[in-house]
Amino acid sequence: MWPGLFQASVLVFILIFPPFSFAQQPPAYLQELVQQARAMNLAEYPEWHALLHYRTRLLTGGVKSEADDPNFFAAPGGKTDPEAELEATLALFFSEPGDKEDQPPQCRFIARHHWLKSRLNFDAKRLPPQACERFDEWYAALNPAGLTLVFPVSYLNNPASMFGHTLLRVDAKDQTEETRLLAYAVNYAAVVGNDNGVAFALKGLTGSYPGLFSVLPYYLKVREYNDLENRDIWEYRLNFSEEETRRLLMHLWELRGIRFDYFFFDENCSYHLLSLFEAARPDLQLTRQFVWWAIPADTVRAVVAEQGMVQEVVYRPAASTRMKYRISSLPDDQQEIARALADRELSINSEAFLTLPADDRAAILELSDEYLRYEIAAGQRENEEVAGLMQQLLVARSAIDIDFHPVRIRTPNVRPDQGHGTARVALGVGSDDGDPFRELRLRPAYHDLLDDDGGYTRGAEINFFDVTLRFRESDDSLILQDFTPVDIVSLVPRNRFVRPVSWKVAGHLTRSRLAVDDEPLVFRIDGGAGIVTEVNDYGLLFGFIEGSLDTSGHLEKNFALGVGPGVGLLWTYPDRFKTMMTMRALRYAVGDTHTRADAGIWQNVRVTTSTALRYGITRRREFDNYWNEAEIALLYYFR
Amino acid sequence: MTKKGLVLAAILGAIPMVSMADNVGNCGWGSKVFDGQSGVVPQSLAVTTNGTFGNQTFGITSGTSGCTQDGMVKSSWMTAMYIDGNRHQLARDMAVGEGETLDALASLIGVEEQDRSLFNQTLKNNYAKIYASENASAVDIMSALKVVLSSDVTLARYSENVS
Repeated sequence: MWPGLFQASVLVFILIFPPFSFAQQPPAYLQELVQQARAMNLAEYPEWHALLHYRTRLLTGGVKSEADDPNFFAAPGGKTDPEAELEATLALFFSEPGDKEDQPPQCRFIARHHWLKSRLNFDAKRLPPQACERFDEWYAALNPAGLTLVFPVSYLNNPASMFGHTLLRVDAKDQTEETRLLAYAVNYAAVVGNDNGVAFALKGLTGSYPGLFSVLPYYLKVREYNDLENRDIWEYRLNFSEEETRRLLMHLWELRGIRFDYFFFDENCSYHLLSLFEAARPDLQLTRQFVWWAIPADTVRAVVAEQGMVQEVVYRPAASTRMKYRISSLPDDQQEIARALADRELSINSEAFLTLPADDRAAILELSDEYLRYEIAAGQRENEEVAGLMQQLLVARSAIDIDFHPVRIRTPNVRPDQGHGTARVALGVGSDDGDPFRELRLRPAYHDLLDDDGGYTRGAEINFFDVTLRFRESDDSLILQDFTPVDIVSLVPRNRFVRPVSWKVAGHLTRSRLAVDDEPLVFRIDGGAGIVTEVNDYGLLFGFIEGSLDTSGHLEKNFALGVGPGVGLLWTYPDRFKTMMTMRALRYAVGDTHTRADAGIWQNVRVTTSTALRYGITRRREFDNYWNEAEIALLYYFR
Repeated sequence: MTKKGLVLAAILGAIPMVSMADNVGNCGWGSKVFDGQSGVVPQSLAVTTNGTFGNQTFGITSGTSGCTQDGMVKSSWMTAMYIDGNRHQLARDMAVGEGETLDALASLIGVEEQDRSLFNQTLKNNYAKIYASENASAVDIMSALKVVLSSDVTLARYSENVS
């Protein structure tokens, strides 16, 4: 490159585009605006903080933006300096787009421009407005009238979804109930590669994945969550005005391609949707309620708790829910026909099928098709293998004319936001073979098998960082009885259509009774695989093969490895009582050889949504010690 | 076949249609490609960390012919993309003769309220023609739908909207 040529081009450029030469000499009007902004202390307004995603720093004081992308800031120190950022933003509004930018600065930061303009009453003559055709075109395509918070809940067979997810739907102006699918969805997600489980976990916890916002047709998300991942979806229509909706979308436009470090627990999808809401309505204080972790159901609860925020809630059942409904609405022999058709044991041209009444044939064909589609999504069957059969089923179905009795799935009585809080504290009194104790148990998240199922998925247990402190009266001592960082149980019943393997995994720091007065803490990893059957509508009967590894310096060989069977019955009496009976025996044959066994019966009574009573008794054996443990506890749920 | 049809066919042809997750030119911005972690161990690990993680199984290929530069679906492509993205659900609704996916299709091609039940019934009666085989692509479905609509006196006027 010839330097002379470069300079000449710059000169020509300046001649063609008469300069905003503030690089050398800032325009007087910019100076005025900056003075005005300083006088008004604009940089400290909640609107400005919401638009820049500033959060108060806990230890050092001051603020820091959660955005982690230099392109998001006009000032070099903008991440931590709201005032410098504001002034640099104002300066930027006087300039033309840089080489690498595809739109004028007032459009790139359109929400900031909109807000600063309204506060400082920009003089159009001295700060000429820039046309934002691209934003206008995008906005016209969205044609927004309002917003809906969309909550696909968790599904058991899909552990990666355990807490659920939230996204936003931009409802169009002319939208009706039947065209909701055609709206656009706003999604915030981590961009992850093909990392394996361990790397994935570590990166997710440490914020090493970039999180980005995306906008795409809502039907793609519905297909993904409802049909592929078998997750029920709840749609909460929000009462944002058109103006607020516009503000949110202007801000979203600023976030195009802007990177946030994605943290699974706190700065996740649900958290960042809340930050969008704050850009739309700055007096909302949603994100600050979630400092350490943001569980989607809790964020939905926080939104619902805002007065008048939710206008209407719509339930959209998952493919698996639809299938379950179809199964339960058919008599046993017809279920068997539907299964046989899907497994090619019976032909749609067979007499056994053709002689059935039209209504029944229609219902059977629909179930067979739903079942095969479910199996494909679950990876149980290959699409190529059954596509032809499904086509035959649907062609046969299209030839049957009946008065419609469409699948009308009842909306569950309790919405996810109406269930118990995800954090729980329990106070209990009990007896350890006659020795009284008092117990304090704190579980930050989320739901165990005995907790009331309203708003949760039945048969799914997820406990995080569960701590039990015990005060023993016999020796006046306060001890850590148990610390369980993770405990997950997934009970998924089998039936003639689906045969999933249920599983459990947990890690504990817990007491092992080596002798009567020797009960040290050991580190224990438990796991198991098993099968579950449904006993009418109320019971889950389960059997597992379980394995356990104990490690501790107190063990003679420092470890013990055991395996053995476990069975149980979980019974739900509508709609307040739950009872669970379990029995388990593990033989530790490697390391310190011994036997650990327990048998117990526990009951949980929901008193209110946020309180419950739990009591029960367990007979235990470890090494050569046998004892009974009974307890009654008051549980309080909160968030 | 229209020029757009050819382009769509080319895109469709380039993408193996192995599962529901495969789609033509989804518009949108943002990026991601996550097919989920498979296997018990990664899933168990993922579960401990991944509770609130919103994975996406759809690739976003903005910049395909049907999308605007900012990732919205061009209005002339809405029906094609919609059919492609909802192929299976739409097949079921069509064979049954009712459903949300079918309603949204009717709305996309501007079928008026008084013609809706005729529309549904006609598509149901001709399901085997519209979804001529299990391998029918969105393009095939669209052109067959066009033919079916144009051969009905009342619905013929909607056939040109199928594009």
